[in-house]
Amino acid sequence: MQIGKLSLNSAKAAQNTTSANNTPQNKLSSNPFGVSFKGNVIQADVFESANKSSITNSISEKGKLFASAVVSGINNFNESFKSRMNSIVSFGKKVTTNVFDTIERIGNTEVTFNMDGIKNKLFPDRQYSVKNLTNQPVSDLKTMWQNLEEQAV
Amino acid sequence: MDNNKKIKNIIQALGEHKDSQAAIEILTELGTNSSDDEIREFTAQTLIRKNTHESLRVVLISKGKGINDLSARVAMASINELLSLKDKSEAIKILDDTIKMHSEEDVRNTARSVRALMTFSS
Repeated sequence: MQIGKLSLNSAKAAQNTTSANNTPQNKLSSNPFGVSFKGNVIQADVFESANKSSITNSISEKGKLFASAVVSGINNFNESFKSRMNSIVSFGKKVTTNVFDTIERIGNTEVTFNMDGIKNKLFPDRQYSVKNLTNQPVSDLKTMWQNLEEQAV
Repeated sequence: MDNNKKIKNIIQALGEHKDSQAAIEILTELGTNSSDDEIREFTAQTLIRKNTHESLRVVLISKGKGINDLSARVAMASINELLSLKDKSEAIKILDDTIKMHSEEDVRNTARSVRALMTFSS
């Protein structure tokens, strides 16, 4: 019986020791099935890690950094956009003012065309057409004639 | 357009001009005294076509102009133009007066010849 007791106690102690030895291993890995490879229990967190919170935290930290960067970027963009818009608006105002000034000037400008002069420039011989000459004063015809004779000499 | 063509156009315009008296004066002054035969010829023809007393007197009774021009070309062109007039009455009247009263014999002889041609042609 003692042997039996002893054996029972030793078995309990052995069980306690093995459980005590196994506890840190269980803490290190999330391998719930004790899968071993060549006699060694796999320590690496090959399954989904129980310590997810650290990665999540890092991701959220990165997210915060990213978000703050985005917000500051948006702020910078807003400022630059506002300054650009201001310059565009001022340019538009300047253009509008110039256009109105030009329209006002055109409105106040009297445009006259000397059509006879333009025609004579475009068609130099037109000046010496009989129809055109007949409508001119005789004194002018005399002058033209004299000029032509002087050119011939 | 050369200068002669331009001058010819001016002569034609003067022939059709409303200010007839002033136009005849210019044609007489510049055209009949031109050194260019072609211009004198064209001027004489224009004056004859006007068929007025003032214009015909220049080419019929003036020595060295119109039918009395030293250039045969100008004289013949003037005579042809006279012969082609529809109404020759004014020209014949001036020629008759010239034959009777002109002081220059050459002018009277030329007028007589032209008068004869006009009688035969009409």
